[in-house]
Amino acid sequence: MRAETSMSGASGTIMAAEQPVHVKLRGVYKTYNSKRGDIHALDNINLDIREGEFLSLLGPSGCGKSTLLRCLAGLEKISGGGVQVHGKDIDGPPENMGIVFQRDMLLDWRTVLENVLLPLEFRRLPKQEYIEPALKLLETFGLRRSADRYPWELSGGMRQRAAICRALLDDPSLLLMDEPFGALDAITRDNLNIELQRIWTQTNKTILFITHSINEAILLSSRVAVMARDPGRIEEIVEIDLPRPRTLAMRESPDFIRYSAHVRAIFERLGTFIG
Amino acid sequence: MTTQTPAQQPETSREDGSFLRWWKQSSRLRFFLVFSILVLTAWEWLCSVTGVRPYIFPAPSQVFKELINDPQWLAAHTAYSVSATLIAFAISVVLGLILSVGIVYSRLLDRTLFTTLVATNAIPKVAIAPLFVLWIGTDIESKVLIAVLVSIFPMVVDSVVGLRSVDPGMLDLARTYRGTALQMFWKIRFPNALPSIFAGMKVAISLSLVGTIVGEFVGSNWGLGFVILQSQGQYNTPRVFAAILVLSILGTLMFQIVDMIERRAMPWHVSHRNRHDED
Ligand SMILES: Nc1ncnc2c1ncn2[C@@H]1O[C@H](COP(=O)(O)OP(=O)(O)OP(=O)(O)O)[C@@H](O)[C@H]1O
Ligand SMILES: [Mg+2]
Repeated sequence: MRAETSMSGASGTIMAAEQPVHVKLRGVYKTYNSKRGDIHALDNINLDIREGEFLSLLGPSGCGKSTLLRCLAGLEKISGGGVQVHGKDIDGPPENMGIVFQRDMLLDWRTVLENVLLPLEFRRLPKQEYIEPALKLLETFGLRRSADRYPWELSGGMRQRAAICRALLDDPSLLLMDEPFGALDAITRDNLNIELQRIWTQTNKTILFITHSINEAILLSSRVAVMARDPGRIEEIVEIDLPRPRTLAMRESPDFIRYSAHVRAIFERLGTFIG
Repeated sequence: MTTQTPAQQPETSREDGSFLRWWKQSSRLRFFLVFSILVLTAWEWLCSVTGVRPYIFPAPSQVFKELINDPQWLAAHTAYSVSATLIAFAISVVLGLILSVGIVYSRLLDRTLFTTLVATNAIPKVAIAPLFVLWIGTDIESKVLIAVLVSIFPMVVDSVVGLRSVDPGMLDLARTYRGTALQMFWKIRFPNALPSIFAGMKVAISLSLVGTIVGEFVGSNWGLGFVILQSQGQYNTPRVFAAILVLSILGTLMFQIVDMIERRAMPWHVSHRNRHDED
């Protein structure tokens, strides 16, 4: 049913396969019970995310991407199967995890900087020591000048970037991102894609990234898990074996185009339109 | 790279509340002053042309005369009403908050206390005020109790609504930080509820004053309620008007103070955004 495809050379594959598994999903089922009947959001999800891997979930709206991320984050009770982090079954959110939700979830009563510093307060870490790194992070995401402003004074894209800074602040080893760039204009999105790649290569994080954009998924990922809906499942995992660091110009390269054509063909076969 | 620390940004400084600035910005107040002067002039003029007797309807000048007739005496009664009101308000706020937290976190309290509160709120408190005077006397305690009874309801209801209406996503966020229940309360639920809590407080301060006056009507030798009742008995209508004037000033003042505290406490809130725009 599910196929692992690697379309070109094996160099990237070997490297990834040597890494220990960071997150393991085994036969994960998730059913939402609602008044209008049960919704089968996830159906037998099996997935190994290796340490330092950049894995994208790509699929049409409602196929269970957010649900999968929430199960992995320990926020949702799964109806069957198991989620392991570093070989241990999770009970609740794992430690050392950063998360960017589909909605920014900034707290209205805190300035941007205070929002970014929020995780430290919960973890009782010394806030003073993190102010400099936080401002630097805001600088990276073009928010330095807005550090003292309230969320309602920001545009949707700025808010989402602030939420990303908040997730990155204490350098989590596992980063979950639910359509973090969905609200951004194409140019900012391109820039942040490159920035995210830089952060990923420099810090060796394991990243689970949700997107609607085929190009974004291919540009950033080591692997792309293509999902289908009704019931929500992983249809195919595509290994992206393009050289790093990837550049925006690569999107015009024949290899890249082959990958996107391949992914598009999967959706066509399933009869779904993405987005 | 020149470093511009956030504190240096002039636009966002929230601390300048100089009187002059406030006066310049408060066109609403200036408008009201002009309007009041016009109304008072018209009122005075009408009283003098119609020759209506003061004990039926006094002119502003007569009310004013009464106001400065024995300022110490009036001030003492005012102080009494203000104390009762403020004590009742403080009790309502503190007790109301404690109760609402209990109601939000305990299913049992929700089903017993909250349901009872909602049910008994239908009883007009004025109707049971005489009972309290009977039970605990005509001293300040009975006024405070009646005022608390009247004002605690909006406090509890609004706080409960505020504490409950938190975006589940925000709680999820806090859960990913493995936060404790206490942290979730102080960092998420409580600040999220502040707008609602202040809305409750604004109603509660006004109702505390109402409750106090009702208590004084029912049985008291002190307070503005007593002044009104006594003066009415003596056909001293100008003094009744004077007391009512003091009362309305008090009510407005106390409301404004709560409003000011609210603005200080939540500079981020919708109701305070771009306030100068409306001028
Ligand atoms: N709390 C919930 N209660 C009931 N059903 C839910 C809940 N959350 C999600 N669902 C259902 O589960 C399915 C998957 O939803 P999910 O949010 O995971 O989709 P998604 O792939 O993230 O979509 P999108 O790309 O639009 O964000 C949908 O059919 C949705 O209606
Ligand atoms: Mg989603």
